[in-house]
Amino acid sequence: MKLFKKFTVTALTAVIAVTASFAGVAAAADSLKGKITVNGSTALLPLTLQAAKEFQKLHPKVKIAASGKGSVTGPQAVKKGIADIGACDWDASIDVPGFKAFDGQVANKVAVIPFATIVNKNVGVDNLTTEQLKGIYAGKITNWKEVGGADANIVVITRAFGSGTRVNYQAKALGGGDIVKKEKNYKETGSSGDMKTAVGTTPNAIGYIDLVYVTGGDIKAVKFNGVEANTDNVINGSYKIWAYGYYMTKGQPTGATKEFIEYVQSKKFQQGSLKKLKFIPISAMQS
Amino acid sequence: MGAPVHGLSAKAQTSLEEVKRNTKRHRRHLLGNSISRYYFLFSILALCLVLGLVIVFIGKTALLLFTRISPQDFFFSFNWTPEEDAFGAAAFIVNTLSLTALTLVIAVPVSVGMAVLCAEIAPKWLKSFIRPVLDLLVGIPSIVYGYLGLTVLLPFLRRISGEGLGDGLLAAALVLALMVLPTICRISDDAIVAVPRKYRDAAYALGSTRLQVIMRVVLPAASRGIISAVILGMTRAVGETMAVVMVIGNTPQLAKSLFAPTSVLTSNIVMQISNVEFDSTWNYSLHMMAFLLLLISFVLILIIRLLGRKRRDA
Repeated sequence: MKLFKKFTVTALTAVIAVTASFAGVAAAADSLKGKITVNGSTALLPLTLQAAKEFQKLHPKVKIAASGKGSVTGPQAVKKGIADIGACDWDASIDVPGFKAFDGQVANKVAVIPFATIVNKNVGVDNLTTEQLKGIYAGKITNWKEVGGADANIVVITRAFGSGTRVNYQAKALGGGDIVKKEKNYKETGSSGDMKTAVGTTPNAIGYIDLVYVTGGDIKAVKFNGVEANTDNVINGSYKIWAYGYYMTKGQPTGATKEFIEYVQSKKFQQGSLKKLKFIPISAMQS
Repeated sequence: MGAPVHGLSAKAQTSLEEVKRNTKRHRRHLLGNSISRYYFLFSILALCLVLGLVIVFIGKTALLLFTRISPQDFFFSFNWTPEEDAFGAAAFIVNTLSLTALTLVIAVPVSVGMAVLCAEIAPKWLKSFIRPVLDLLVGIPSIVYGYLGLTVLLPFLRRISGEGLGDGLLAAALVLALMVLPTICRISDDAIVAVPRKYRDAAYALGSTRLQVIMRVVLPAASRGIISAVILGMTRAVGETMAVVMVIGNTPQLAKSLFAPTSVLTSNIVMQISNVEFDSTWNYSLHMMAFLLLLISFVLILIIRLLGRKRRDA
């Protein structure tokens, strides 16, 4: 019997060792368990999903459920106790225009999100200044020829109030300027995907979107104050329309949540998958 | 159970056994009946409970609105600028009603015409083709209709109208009309088929043409069924959200033309509810809009019920 026990133990150890080495898992990894719910921004959702996949491979006993809606739902869900992590495109622990600070929440920086001004492919303009954008979005400039384009009405497409993309775009690209509300050539869309489709299918349209969405031939990103929208220019500081993405938590994160956030912030993830998803590592901006 | 107990003893024995067996079976049936009765009772009560909770929850949150702003401000002001504490929903209410009306103006003649075709005119092979196709159309998710509207219909409308955007009531009404068409058509179809054959025969015997029979006899006889079909289509049009959101423009203003980007109750709720703080006037007014929609569909369903009752009386 003793021999049998010994044999079993050896066999089990061998199996575990083999599995572990195959999966590249550290032996201590299995001790971590728990359930993490992530709610909030759709812009950060691809990042969260990728990180969750990798993290669950390392810690099979941790379950991560992630969903995306509006940015503000993140900190709200955390406040209500529905979610452990609220993904938000702005720092919800301080006041931003339209939204009061969420008391007692801690903002954990996880990524840098660049945004781009986009226009329909038929628009000839390829550079816009802060002043011109302000004029366009405030409804003062209504024709493309006023900013060096063809004689055609500008169709303004924007996100609904409270969208994280809109909060950041308004702060960084429009210098806090207003966005017109009631106009003939003005349309609101509900998500980044809708924005891309709307600008792509509407001639003379202008909009704004996460830089990662700028693909395909129907839309093009325009230069901002003469600077091209790309990650290099964000990192060297010349392109100004970007923001940190945050994971909001109730107080300092603990347990599995803490481990998960640290994993997302780790050099391995930031330089690897995060970059592949075309986000920018936070370390790049903190030099 | 009236088995005879007199006569030969052996015979009596068997019939007695038969009675016992029958009683046993009868009891079993009774038990089954009562169990299923309780089950159905429980189901219906559970349903009522859930429905009640929905109404109470939405209503409660909605009515909180009037502790913050007055009903006049909500129902009669056209100024919806929640960022600046202006919560006038009149524009959405008017737009919802006009969108529904426009949808019906487009959809009803077409769908009733198709119903007549299906029920009266078309040969059998065409009928057996049209009906399943219409049933299939109901199964397409509304967001797909919306996406087609956004990518196919809007560019077309832009070209023929010369507008910059093309979004607005007309685009939304066209998409909605396509969506309610199968509903209205199939139910009217059933109503027309249900008109007794003798009416038609009598009309033909009097020398009517086919058109006269359809217009003067069949359609009036089926009118109640057609009206309930229209109302059912209307409930769908009033509550439809995803398809509308994609083609209406989502600008909170009164629609002054068919091509002005605008917003209705449903689209406004879906655009804003996820970006609003839980305990804010804004959130309450969105709930109030939802409650309004609930009331509108409740009234429409009541109308269908009343019509149905009248038909049975007639």
